[in-house]
Amino acid sequence: MIEITLTQGLLLAAVAFIFGIDFWLEALFLFRPIIVCTVTGFILGDVQIGLITGGLTELAFAGLTPAGGVQPPNPILAGIMTTVIAHSAGVDAKTAIGLGLPFSLLMQYIILFFYSAFSMFMPKVERYVSENNSAGLGRMSLLMTLIVACTYALVVFLCAYSAQGAMQALVKAMPEWLTHGFQVAGGILPAVGFGLLLRVMLKAQYVPYLLAGFLFVCYVQIQNLLPVAVMGAAFALFVYFNSKPEAAPAAPVAKTEEDFSNGI
Amino acid sequence: MASDHTTTAETAITKGDITRLAFRSSMLQAGFNYERMQSVGFTTAMQPLLKKIYHDDPEGLKAANKDSLEFINTHPNLVGFLMGLLISLEEKKEDRALIKGLKVALFGPIAGIGDAIFWFTLLPIVAGVCASFAIQGNLLGPLIFFGVYLAVFFMRIGWTHMGYSLGVKAIDKIKDGSAMISKAATILGVTVIGGLIASYVHIDVVASFAIDATHKVGLQKDFFDKIFPNLLPMGYVMLMYYLLKKKQVHPVALIATTFVLSIVLSWLGIL
Repeated sequence: MIEITLTQGLLLAAVAFIFGIDFWLEALFLFRPIIVCTVTGFILGDVQIGLITGGLTELAFAGLTPAGGVQPPNPILAGIMTTVIAHSAGVDAKTAIGLGLPFSLLMQYIILFFYSAFSMFMPKVERYVSENNSAGLGRMSLLMTLIVACTYALVVFLCAYSAQGAMQALVKAMPEWLTHGFQVAGGILPAVGFGLLLRVMLKAQYVPYLLAGFLFVCYVQIQNLLPVAVMGAAFALFVYFNSKPEAAPAAPVAKTEEDFSNGI
Repeated sequence: MASDHTTTAETAITKGDITRLAFRSSMLQAGFNYERMQSVGFTTAMQPLLKKIYHDDPEGLKAANKDSLEFINTHPNLVGFLMGLLISLEEKKEDRALIKGLKVALFGPIAGIGDAIFWFTLLPIVAGVCASFAIQGNLLGPLIFFGVYLAVFFMRIGWTHMGYSLGVKAIDKIKDGSAMISKAATILGVTVIGGLIASYVHIDVVASFAIDATHKVGLQKDFFDKIFPNLLPMGYVMLMYYLLKKKQVHPVALIATTFVLSIVLSWLGIL
Protein backbone atom coordinates (compact mmCIF):
# COMPACT_ATOMS: atom_id res chain seq x y z
CA MET A 1 0.00 0.00 0.00
CA ILE A 2 1.54 3.26 -1.13
CA GLU A 3 0.11 6.57 0.09
CA ILE A 4 -0.65 9.40 -2.31
CA THR A 5 1.09 12.49 -0.91
CA LEU A 6 -0.58 15.89 -0.68
CA THR A 7 1.75 17.23 -3.40
CA GLN A 8 0.78 14.36 -5.69
CA GLY A 9 -2.90 14.96 -4.93
CA LEU A 10 -2.57 18.64 -5.83
CA LEU A 11 -0.59 17.87 -8.98
CA LEU A 12 -3.25 15.38 -10.05
CA ALA A 13 -5.92 18.04 -9.46
CA ALA A 14 -3.92 20.49 -11.56
CA VAL A 15 -3.57 18.17 -14.53
CA ALA A 16 -7.23 17.18 -14.18
CA PHE A 17 -8.07 20.87 -14.57
CA ILE A 18 -6.22 20.91 -17.91
CA PHE A 19 -7.54 17.53 -19.08
CA GLY A 20 -11.03 18.70 -18.11
CA ILE A 21 -10.84 21.76 -20.34
CA ASP A 22 -9.46 19.63 -23.15
CA PHE A 23 -12.31 17.11 -22.89
CA TRP A 24 -14.90 19.87 -22.65
CA LEU A 25 -13.56 21.41 -25.87
CA GLU A 26 -12.43 18.13 -27.50
CA ALA A 27 -9.33 19.98 -28.65
CA LEU A 28 -6.04 18.11 -28.24
CA PHE A 29 -7.25 14.67 -27.10
CA LEU A 30 -5.12 14.90 -23.97
CA PHE A 31 -8.20 13.55 -22.19
CA ARG A 32 -7.79 10.04 -23.62
CA PRO A 33 -6.72 7.43 -21.03
CA ILE A 34 -3.44 6.69 -22.83
CA ILE A 35 -2.26 10.25 -22.10
CA VAL A 36 -4.07 10.69 -18.75
CA CYS A 37 -2.65 7.45 -17.32
CA THR A 38 0.89 8.13 -18.49
CA VAL A 39 0.87 11.62 -16.94
CA THR A 40 -0.70 10.22 -13.76
CA GLY A 41 2.00 7.53 -13.63
CA PHE A 42 4.63 10.20 -14.05
CA ILE A 43 3.20 12.22 -11.12
CA LEU A 44 3.11 9.10 -8.96
CA GLY A 45 6.72 8.32 -9.87
CA ASP A 46 5.81 5.12 -11.69
CA VAL A 47 5.60 5.73 -15.44
CA GLN A 48 5.60 1.99 -16.21
CA ILE A 49 2.31 1.36 -14.40
CA GLY A 50 0.88 4.46 -16.09
CA LEU A 51 1.79 3.13 -19.51
CA ILE A 52 0.23 -0.25 -18.82
CA THR A 53 -3.01 1.10 -17.32
CA GLY A 54 -3.02 3.68 -20.12
CA GLY A 55 -2.90 1.07 -22.84
CA LEU A 56 -5.53 -1.13 -21.21
CA THR A 57 -7.92 1.69 -20.25
CA GLU A 58 -7.58 3.28 -23.69
CA LEU A 59 -8.77 0.07 -25.29
CA ALA A 60 -11.59 -0.39 -22.81
CA PHE A 61 -12.76 3.13 -23.72
CA ALA A 62 -12.14 2.83 -27.47
CA GLY A 63 -15.81 2.81 -28.37
CA LEU A 64 -17.05 5.06 -25.59
CA THR A 65 -16.99 8.33 -27.49
CA PRO A 66 -18.91 11.58 -27.09
CA ALA A 67 -19.79 11.50 -30.81
CA GLY A 68 -23.15 13.08 -31.49
CA GLY A 69 -23.28 14.82 -28.12
CA VAL A 70 -23.77 11.64 -26.08
CA GLN A 71 -21.70 11.73 -22.92
CA PRO A 72 -19.75 8.49 -22.30
CA PRO A 73 -18.33 7.27 -18.97
CA ASN A 74 -15.61 9.78 -18.21
CA PRO A 75 -12.20 8.82 -19.64
CA ILE A 76 -10.27 11.28 -17.43
CA LEU A 77 -11.53 9.93 -14.10
CA ALA A 78 -11.19 6.37 -15.42
CA GLY A 79 -7.57 7.03 -16.40
CA ILE A 80 -6.51 8.81 -13.23
CA MET A 81 -8.27 6.49 -10.78
CA THR A 82 -7.25 3.27 -12.56
CA THR A 83 -3.62 4.35 -12.35
CA VAL A 84 -3.91 5.62 -8.77
CA ILE A 85 -5.51 2.35 -7.64
CA ALA A 86 -3.03 0.16 -9.53
CA HIS A 87 -0.16 2.14 -7.98
CA SER A 88 -1.34 2.66 -4.41
CA ALA A 89 -3.21 -0.59 -3.80
CA GLY A 90 -0.78 -2.63 -5.87
CA VAL A 91 -3.49 -4.46 -7.79
CA ASP A 92 -3.27 -5.77 -11.34
CA ALA A 93 -4.00 -3.15 -14.02
CA LYS A 94 -7.05 -5.04 -15.30
CA THR A 95 -8.51 -5.26 -11.81
CA ALA A 96 -7.84 -1.55 -11.35
CA ILE A 97 -9.93 -0.70 -14.44
CA GLY A 98 -12.91 -2.30 -12.75
CA LEU A 99 -12.28 -0.43 -9.51
CA GLY A 100 -11.86 2.84 -11.38
CA LEU A 101 -15.16 2.55 -13.25
CA PRO A 102 -17.46 3.95 -10.50
CA PHE A 103 -15.42 7.20 -10.47
CA SER A 104 -15.75 7.42 -14.22
CA LEU A 105 -19.54 7.02 -14.02
CA LEU A 106 -19.70 9.63 -11.22
CA MET A 107 -17.99 12.21 -13.43
CA GLN A 108 -20.17 11.28 -16.39
CA TYR A 109 -23.26 12.15 -14.35
CA ILE A 110 -21.71 15.41 -13.14
CA ILE A 111 -21.07 16.46 -16.77
CA LEU A 112 -24.63 15.49 -17.72
CA PHE A 113 -25.84 17.68 -14.86
CA PHE A 114 -23.82 20.60 -16.23
CA TYR A 115 -25.27 20.09 -19.71
CA SER A 116 -28.71 20.63 -18.26
CA ALA A 117 -27.78 23.26 -15.69
CA PHE A 118 -25.91 25.45 -18.18
CA SER A 119 -29.19 25.95 -20.08
CA MET A 120 -29.98 28.38 -17.28
CA PHE A 121 -27.25 30.70 -18.54
CA MET A 122 -28.99 31.03 -21.90
CA PRO A 123 -31.30 33.98 -21.06
CA LYS A 124 -28.26 35.96 -19.96
CA VAL A 125 -26.35 34.95 -23.10
CA GLU A 126 -29.29 36.04 -25.24
CA ARG A 127 -29.39 39.41 -23.51
CA TYR A 128 -25.67 39.98 -24.14
CA VAL A 129 -26.09 39.00 -27.79
CA SER A 130 -29.06 41.33 -28.26
CA GLU A 131 -26.90 44.15 -26.83
CA ASN A 132 -23.96 43.24 -29.12
CA ASN A 133 -21.96 42.71 -25.93
CA SER A 134 -19.11 40.49 -27.20
CA ALA A 135 -17.12 40.78 -23.99
CA GLY A 136 -20.09 39.60 -21.94
CA LEU A 137 -20.62 36.67 -24.29
CA GLY A 138 -16.95 35.73 -24.06
CA ARG A 139 -17.14 35.86 -20.25
CA MET A 140 -20.06 33.43 -20.28
CA SER A 141 -18.12 30.94 -22.42
CA LEU A 142 -15.15 31.26 -20.10
CA LEU A 143 -17.29 30.96 -16.98
CA MET A 144 -18.90 27.68 -18.06
CA THR A 145 -15.54 26.21 -19.09
CA LEU A 146 -13.98 27.21 -15.77
CA ILE A 147 -16.83 25.72 -13.75
CA VAL A 148 -16.24 22.41 -15.51
CA ALA A 149 -12.46 22.56 -15.12
CA CYS A 150 -12.64 23.39 -11.40
CA THR A 151 -15.09 20.55 -10.85
CA TYR A 152 -12.63 18.12 -12.45
CA ALA A 153 -9.83 19.36 -10.19
CA LEU A 154 -12.00 19.08 -7.07
CA VAL A 155 -13.41 15.64 -7.87
CA VAL A 156 -9.97 14.23 -8.70
CA PHE A 157 -8.45 15.67 -5.52
CA LEU A 158 -11.24 14.19 -3.39
CA CYS A 159 -11.18 10.79 -5.09
CA ALA A 160 -7.41 10.34 -5.42
CA TYR A 161 -6.20 11.98 -2.21
CA SER A 162 -8.92 12.26 0.41
CA ALA A 163 -10.63 8.94 -0.21
CA GLN A 164 -7.54 6.80 -0.57
CA GLY A 165 -7.77 5.25 2.91
CA ALA A 166 -11.28 4.01 2.29
CA MET A 167 -10.27 2.82 -1.16
CA GLN A 168 -7.35 0.78 0.13
CA ALA A 169 -9.41 -0.71 2.92
CA LEU A 170 -11.96 -1.75 0.34
CA VAL A 171 -9.34 -3.36 -1.89
CA LYS A 172 -7.83 -5.19 1.12
CA ALA A 173 -11.19 -6.53 2.19
CA MET A 174 -12.05 -7.98 -1.21
CA PRO A 175 -12.01 -11.76 -1.55
CA GLU A 176 -9.95 -13.45 -4.24
CA TRP A 177 -12.90 -14.34 -6.50
CA LEU A 178 -14.04 -10.70 -6.53
CA THR A 179 -10.65 -9.26 -7.55
CA HIS A 180 -10.36 -12.00 -10.15
CA GLY A 181 -13.87 -11.06 -11.32
CA PHE A 182 -12.77 -7.46 -11.79
CA GLN A 183 -9.80 -8.71 -13.76
CA VAL A 184 -12.07 -10.83 -15.97
CA ALA A 185 -14.32 -7.82 -16.50
CA GLY A 186 -11.32 -5.70 -17.46
CA GLY A 187 -10.53 -8.26 -20.14
CA ILE A 188 -14.07 -8.42 -21.55
CA LEU A 189 -14.97 -4.74 -21.26
CA PRO A 190 -13.34 -3.70 -24.57
CA ALA A 191 -15.98 -5.92 -26.24
CA VAL A 192 -18.65 -3.36 -25.31
CA GLY A 193 -16.48 -0.60 -26.78
CA PHE A 194 -15.90 -2.49 -30.01
CA GLY A 195 -19.61 -3.33 -30.18
CA LEU A 196 -20.35 0.41 -29.93
CA LEU A 197 -17.91 1.19 -32.74
CA LEU A 198 -19.38 -1.53 -34.93
CA ARG A 199 -22.92 -0.33 -34.26
CA VAL A 200 -22.02 2.79 -36.21
CA MET A 201 -19.55 1.40 -38.73
CA LEU A 202 -20.51 -2.13 -39.60
CA LYS A 203 -22.70 -2.79 -42.60
CA ALA A 204 -23.00 -6.16 -44.36
CA GLN A 205 -20.63 -5.00 -47.10
CA TYR A 206 -17.87 -4.39 -44.52
CA VAL A 207 -18.03 -7.80 -42.81
CA PRO A 208 -15.22 -9.27 -45.01
CA TYR A 209 -12.80 -6.61 -43.75
CA LEU A 210 -13.75 -7.26 -40.13
CA LEU A 211 -13.11 -10.97 -40.61
CA ALA A 212 -9.83 -10.34 -42.44
CA GLY A 213 -8.48 -8.18 -39.62
CA PHE A 214 -9.68 -10.70 -37.04
CA LEU A 215 -8.16 -13.72 -38.83
CA PHE A 216 -4.87 -11.96 -39.40
CA VAL A 217 -4.35 -11.36 -35.68
CA CYS A 218 -5.63 -14.84 -34.74
CA TYR A 219 -2.97 -16.60 -36.79
CA VAL A 220 -0.08 -14.16 -37.27
CA GLN A 221 2.12 -13.23 -34.32
CA ILE A 222 2.45 -9.44 -34.32
CA GLN A 223 4.10 -7.00 -31.90
CA ASN A 224 1.60 -4.22 -32.43
CA LEU A 225 -1.39 -3.47 -34.61
CA LEU A 226 0.43 -1.47 -37.26
CA PRO A 227 0.51 -4.36 -39.78
CA VAL A 228 -3.28 -4.69 -39.48
CA ALA A 229 -3.66 -0.97 -40.08
CA VAL A 230 -1.46 -1.23 -43.18
CA MET A 231 -3.53 -4.15 -44.43
CA GLY A 232 -6.70 -2.12 -43.80
CA ALA A 233 -5.18 0.79 -45.70
CA ALA A 234 -4.46 -1.56 -48.61
CA PHE A 235 -8.12 -2.69 -48.65
CA ALA A 236 -9.28 0.91 -48.42
CA LEU A 237 -7.09 2.05 -51.32
CA PHE A 238 -8.16 -0.94 -53.40
CA VAL A 239 -11.84 -0.15 -52.92
CA TYR A 240 -11.27 3.59 -53.39
CA PHE A 241 -9.50 3.21 -56.73
CA ASN A 242 -11.69 0.44 -58.05
CA SER A 243 -15.10 1.91 -57.39
CA LYS A 244 -14.38 5.55 -58.21
CA PRO A 245 -15.02 5.42 -61.98
CA GLU A 246 -18.45 3.88 -61.65
CA ALA A 247 -19.45 5.76 -58.52
CA ALA A 248 -18.70 9.24 -59.84
CA PRO A 249 -21.25 9.43 -62.66
CA ALA A 250 -23.81 7.02 -61.20
CA ALA A 251 -24.15 8.01 -57.53
CA PRO A 252 -26.63 10.84 -57.14
CA VAL A 253 -25.75 13.58 -54.69
CA ALA A 254 -28.80 13.05 -52.54
CA LYS A 255 -27.84 9.46 -51.84
CA THR A 256 -24.42 10.54 -50.63
CA GLU A 257 -25.95 12.76 -48.04
CA GLU A 258 -28.34 10.10 -46.89
CA ASP A 259 -25.42 7.76 -46.30
CA PHE A 260 -24.09 9.90 -43.48
CA SER A 261 -27.31 10.57 -41.70
CA ASN A 262 -28.08 6.88 -41.61
CA GLY A 263 -24.57 5.74 -40.83
CA ILE A 264 -23.66 8.09 -38.08
CA MET B 1 -32.29 43.70 -42.90
CA ALA B 2 -28.60 43.47 -43.65
CA SER B 3 -29.28 43.09 -47.37
CA ASP B 4 -30.06 46.82 -47.44
CA HIS B 5 -26.40 47.50 -46.78
CA THR B 6 -25.16 46.68 -50.25
CA THR B 7 -22.25 49.09 -49.87
CA THR B 8 -19.18 46.96 -50.51
CA ALA B 9 -17.08 47.72 -47.47
CA GLU B 10 -13.36 47.25 -48.03
CA THR B 11 -12.59 43.53 -47.69
CA ALA B 12 -10.90 43.98 -44.39
CA ILE B 13 -10.58 40.30 -43.59
CA THR B 14 -7.03 39.01 -43.89
CA LYS B 15 -5.49 35.55 -44.01
CA GLY B 16 -4.34 36.09 -40.43
CA ASP B 17 -7.94 36.77 -39.39
CA ILE B 18 -9.02 33.41 -40.81
CA THR B 19 -6.18 31.60 -39.06
CA ARG B 20 -7.20 33.25 -35.78
CA LEU B 21 -10.79 32.18 -36.48
CA ALA B 22 -9.51 28.61 -36.87
CA PHE B 23 -7.95 28.71 -33.40
CA ARG B 24 -11.02 30.40 -31.93
CA SER B 25 -13.14 27.61 -33.42
CA SER B 26 -11.70 25.45 -30.61
CA MET B 27 -14.11 27.27 -28.28
CA LEU B 28 -17.07 25.62 -30.00
CA GLN B 29 -18.09 23.61 -26.95
CA ALA B 30 -17.15 26.21 -24.32
CA GLY B 31 -20.77 26.90 -23.38
CA PHE B 32 -22.27 23.51 -24.22
CA ASN B 33 -25.76 22.99 -22.86
CA TYR B 34 -28.79 20.94 -23.80
CA GLU B 35 -30.89 23.91 -24.89
CA ARG B 36 -28.72 25.20 -27.74
CA MET B 37 -25.76 22.78 -27.60
CA GLN B 38 -22.69 24.51 -29.10
CA SER B 39 -24.29 27.84 -30.03
CA VAL B 40 -22.65 29.88 -27.25
CA GLY B 41 -19.13 28.80 -28.18
CA PHE B 42 -19.92 29.12 -31.88
CA THR B 43 -21.05 32.72 -31.47
CA THR B 44 -18.12 33.53 -29.17
CA ALA B 45 -15.63 32.22 -31.73
CA MET B 46 -17.17 34.30 -34.54
CA GLN B 47 -17.25 37.57 -32.55
CA PRO B 48 -14.02 39.31 -33.69
CA LEU B 49 -14.74 38.78 -37.38
CA LEU B 50 -18.44 39.59 -37.18
CA LYS B 51 -17.52 42.78 -35.34
CA LYS B 52 -15.00 43.60 -38.06
CA ILE B 53 -17.51 43.01 -40.86
CA TYR B 54 -20.29 44.96 -39.17
CA HIS B 55 -18.09 47.63 -37.55
CA ASP B 56 -20.38 50.42 -38.81
CA ASP B 57 -23.65 48.50 -38.63
CA PRO B 58 -24.84 47.56 -35.11
CA GLU B 59 -28.17 46.31 -36.41
CA GLY B 60 -26.45 44.02 -38.91
CA LEU B 61 -24.18 42.68 -36.15
CA LYS B 62 -27.17 42.03 -33.94
CA ALA B 63 -28.90 40.09 -36.70
CA ALA B 64 -25.76 38.06 -37.44
CA ASN B 65 -25.22 37.31 -33.74
CA LYS B 66 -28.83 36.28 -33.31
CA ASP B 67 -28.52 33.78 -36.18
CA SER B 68 -25.22 32.51 -34.77
CA LEU B 69 -26.84 31.80 -31.45
CA GLU B 70 -29.38 29.42 -32.99
CA PHE B 71 -29.05 25.72 -32.12
CA ILE B 72 -25.98 24.04 -33.56
CA ASN B 73 -24.32 20.69 -32.94
CA THR B 74 -21.44 19.82 -35.20
CA HIS B 75 -17.89 18.53 -35.09
CA PRO B 76 -15.31 20.55 -33.07
CA ASN B 77 -12.46 19.84 -35.46
CA LEU B 78 -14.29 20.49 -38.73
CA VAL B 79 -16.45 23.41 -37.56
CA GLY B 80 -13.78 25.85 -38.82
CA PHE B 81 -14.89 24.95 -42.33
CA LEU B 82 -18.44 26.06 -41.56
CA MET B 83 -17.22 29.20 -39.77
CA GLY B 84 -14.97 30.16 -42.68
CA LEU B 85 -17.79 29.60 -45.14
CA LEU B 86 -20.28 31.66 -43.14
CA ILE B 87 -17.78 34.48 -42.64
CA SER B 88 -17.25 34.70 -46.40
CA LEU B 89 -21.02 35.00 -46.83
CA GLU B 90 -21.36 37.56 -44.03
CA GLU B 91 -18.55 39.54 -45.62
CA LYS B 92 -20.42 39.62 -48.95
CA LYS B 93 -23.53 40.67 -46.96
CA GLU B 94 -25.48 37.80 -48.42
CA ASP B 95 -29.11 37.38 -47.61
CA ARG B 96 -29.66 36.39 -43.95
CA ALA B 97 -32.00 33.57 -44.94
CA LEU B 98 -29.26 32.05 -47.13
CA ILE B 99 -26.66 32.24 -44.36
CA LYS B 100 -29.05 30.79 -41.83
CA GLY B 101 -30.20 28.07 -44.20
CA LEU B 102 -26.68 26.99 -45.12
CA LYS B 103 -25.65 26.80 -41.50
CA VAL B 104 -28.63 24.62 -40.61
CA ALA B 105 -28.17 22.48 -43.71
CA LEU B 106 -24.46 21.89 -43.20
CA PHE B 107 -23.80 21.42 -39.50
CA GLY B 108 -25.39 17.95 -39.44
CA PRO B 109 -23.50 16.46 -42.41
CA ILE B 110 -20.26 18.00 -41.12
CA ALA B 111 -20.86 16.38 -37.74
CA GLY B 112 -21.47 13.06 -39.49
CA ILE B 113 -18.26 13.25 -41.53
CA GLY B 114 -16.27 14.38 -38.49
CA ASP B 115 -17.57 11.61 -36.24
CA ALA B 116 -16.94 9.01 -38.96
CA ILE B 117 -13.38 10.14 -39.57
CA PHE B 118 -12.19 11.27 -36.15
CA TRP B 119 -14.05 9.11 -33.66
CA PHE B 120 -14.80 5.95 -35.61
CA THR B 121 -11.77 5.58 -37.87
CA LEU B 122 -8.81 7.57 -36.62
CA LEU B 123 -9.30 6.90 -32.91
CA PRO B 124 -9.56 3.07 -33.06
CA ILE B 125 -6.49 2.89 -35.29
CA VAL B 126 -4.29 5.34 -33.40
CA ALA B 127 -5.48 4.11 -30.01
CA GLY B 128 -5.08 0.47 -31.03
CA VAL B 129 -1.54 0.89 -32.30
CA CYS B 130 -0.42 3.22 -29.50
CA ALA B 131 -2.02 1.11 -26.77
CA SER B 132 -0.18 -1.95 -28.03
CA PHE B 133 3.08 -0.03 -27.50
CA ALA B 134 2.02 1.34 -24.11
CA ILE B 135 1.02 -2.06 -22.72
CA GLN B 136 4.60 -3.23 -23.37
CA GLY B 137 5.77 -0.29 -21.26
CA ASN B 138 6.96 1.66 -24.28
CA LEU B 139 6.69 5.45 -23.95
CA LEU B 140 6.37 5.68 -27.74
CA GLY B 141 2.69 4.76 -27.36
CA PRO B 142 1.50 7.99 -25.69
CA LEU B 143 4.08 10.06 -27.56
CA ILE B 144 2.87 8.94 -30.99
CA PHE B 145 -0.73 9.42 -29.84
CA PHE B 146 0.02 12.97 -28.74
CA GLY B 147 1.89 13.72 -31.99
CA VAL B 148 -0.94 12.47 -34.19
CA TYR B 149 -3.60 14.46 -32.36
CA LEU B 150 -1.45 17.58 -32.29
CA ALA B 151 -1.25 17.37 -36.09
CA VAL B 152 -5.01 16.74 -36.21
CA PHE B 153 -5.59 19.83 -34.04
CA PHE B 154 -3.74 22.07 -36.50
CA MET B 155 -5.77 20.71 -39.42
CA ARG B 156 -8.53 23.12 -38.37
CA ILE B 157 -6.49 25.95 -39.87
CA GLY B 158 -6.74 24.23 -43.24
CA TRP B 159 -10.49 23.57 -42.93
CA THR B 160 -11.19 27.19 -42.00
CA HIS B 161 -9.23 28.65 -44.90
CA MET B 162 -10.86 26.10 -47.19
CA GLY B 163 -14.34 27.11 -46.05
CA TYR B 164 -13.60 30.81 -46.40
CA SER B 165 -12.10 30.58 -49.90
CA LEU B 166 -14.58 28.12 -51.35
CA GLY B 167 -17.59 30.18 -50.38
CA VAL B 168 -20.86 28.77 -51.62
CA LYS B 169 -19.14 26.42 -54.09
CA ALA B 170 -18.00 24.38 -51.12
CA ILE B 171 -21.31 22.64 -50.59
CA ASP B 172 -21.00 20.71 -53.81
CA LYS B 173 -17.44 19.75 -52.91
CA ILE B 174 -18.56 18.29 -49.60
CA LYS B 175 -21.19 16.20 -51.29
CA ASP B 176 -18.94 15.00 -54.14
CA GLY B 177 -15.83 13.42 -52.70
CA SER B 178 -16.82 12.59 -49.16
CA ALA B 179 -18.83 9.41 -49.77
CA MET B 180 -15.89 7.50 -51.21
CA ILE B 181 -13.45 8.85 -48.64
CA SER B 182 -15.84 7.95 -45.88
CA LYS B 183 -16.28 4.44 -47.29
CA ALA B 184 -12.54 3.86 -47.62
CA ALA B 185 -11.99 5.17 -44.09
CA THR B 186 -14.68 2.85 -42.76
CA ILE B 187 -13.02 -0.16 -44.42
CA LEU B 188 -9.71 0.75 -42.81
CA GLY B 189 -11.39 1.21 -39.43
CA VAL B 190 -13.37 -2.02 -39.59
CA THR B 191 -10.25 -4.03 -40.49
CA VAL B 192 -8.40 -2.67 -37.48
CA ILE B 193 -11.35 -3.34 -35.20
CA GLY B 194 -11.26 -6.97 -36.36
CA GLY B 195 -7.65 -7.10 -35.24
CA LEU B 196 -8.42 -5.30 -31.99
CA ILE B 197 -11.07 -7.86 -31.10
CA ALA B 198 -8.59 -10.72 -31.51
CA SER B 199 -5.86 -8.90 -29.54
CA TYR B 200 -7.64 -7.20 -26.71
CA VAL B 201 -10.82 -8.96 -25.73
CA HIS B 202 -9.86 -11.74 -23.32
CA ILE B 203 -12.25 -14.47 -22.31
CA ASP B 204 -10.47 -17.47 -20.83
CA VAL B 205 -12.61 -20.30 -19.59
CA VAL B 206 -10.74 -21.99 -16.74
CA ALA B 207 -13.39 -24.60 -16.03
CA SER B 208 -12.56 -28.19 -16.94
CA PHE B 209 -14.32 -31.52 -16.77
CA ALA B 210 -12.78 -34.59 -15.24
CA ILE B 211 -13.27 -37.62 -17.49
CA ASP B 212 -11.60 -39.98 -15.07
CA ALA B 213 -9.05 -39.71 -12.29
CA THR B 214 -6.18 -38.73 -14.58
CA HIS B 215 -7.80 -37.10 -17.60
CA LYS B 216 -9.34 -33.65 -17.64
CA VAL B 217 -10.83 -31.74 -20.53
CA GLY B 218 -10.11 -28.02 -20.29
CA LEU B 219 -12.96 -26.16 -21.93
CA GLN B 220 -10.74 -23.44 -23.33
CA LYS B 221 -7.73 -25.44 -24.50
CA ASP B 222 -9.44 -28.59 -25.66
CA PHE B 223 -12.74 -27.22 -26.89
CA PHE B 224 -13.02 -23.54 -27.82
CA ASP B 225 -9.45 -23.14 -29.10
CA LYS B 226 -9.85 -26.29 -31.18
CA ILE B 227 -12.91 -24.90 -32.92
CA PHE B 228 -11.45 -21.46 -33.48
CA PRO B 229 -9.05 -19.24 -31.55
CA ASN B 230 -10.71 -16.16 -30.06
CA LEU B 231 -14.14 -17.62 -30.72
CA LEU B 232 -15.57 -16.31 -27.45
CA PRO B 233 -14.21 -12.74 -27.78
CA MET B 234 -15.64 -12.41 -31.30
CA GLY B 235 -18.91 -13.97 -30.18
CA TYR B 236 -19.25 -11.58 -27.25
CA VAL B 237 -18.49 -8.53 -29.40
CA MET B 238 -21.16 -9.68 -31.87
CA LEU B 239 -23.61 -10.13 -29.01
CA MET B 240 -22.87 -6.57 -27.85
CA TYR B 241 -23.29 -5.33 -31.42
CA TYR B 242 -26.61 -7.11 -31.71
CA LEU B 243 -27.92 -5.77 -28.40
CA LEU B 244 -26.79 -2.22 -29.15
CA LYS B 245 -27.96 -2.10 -32.75
CA LYS B 246 -31.08 -4.22 -32.87
CA LYS B 247 -32.32 -4.01 -29.28
CA GLN B 248 -31.12 -0.46 -28.59
CA VAL B 249 -29.77 -1.44 -25.19
CA HIS B 250 -28.00 1.41 -23.38
CA PRO B 251 -24.18 1.03 -23.35
CA VAL B 252 -23.98 1.61 -19.59
CA ALA B 253 -26.44 -1.25 -19.07
CA LEU B 254 -24.14 -3.53 -21.08
CA ILE B 255 -21.09 -2.41 -19.10
CA ALA B 256 -22.90 -3.13 -15.85
CA THR B 257 -24.11 -6.52 -17.08
CA THR B 258 -20.63 -7.45 -18.28
CA PHE B 259 -19.30 -6.55 -14.85
CA VAL B 260 -21.82 -8.51 -12.88
CA LEU B 261 -21.49 -11.46 -15.25
CA SER B 262 -17.68 -11.45 -14.93
CA ILE B 263 -17.85 -11.44 -11.15
CA VAL B 264 -20.50 -14.14 -10.97
CA LEU B 265 -18.63 -16.36 -13.42
CA SER B 266 -15.40 -15.77 -11.53
CA TRP B 267 -17.15 -16.75 -8.29
CA LEU B 268 -18.45 -19.91 -9.95
CA GLY B 269 -14.93 -20.70 -11.12
CA ILE B 270 -15.86 -20.70 -14.80
CA LEU B 271 -13.81 -17.69 -15.92
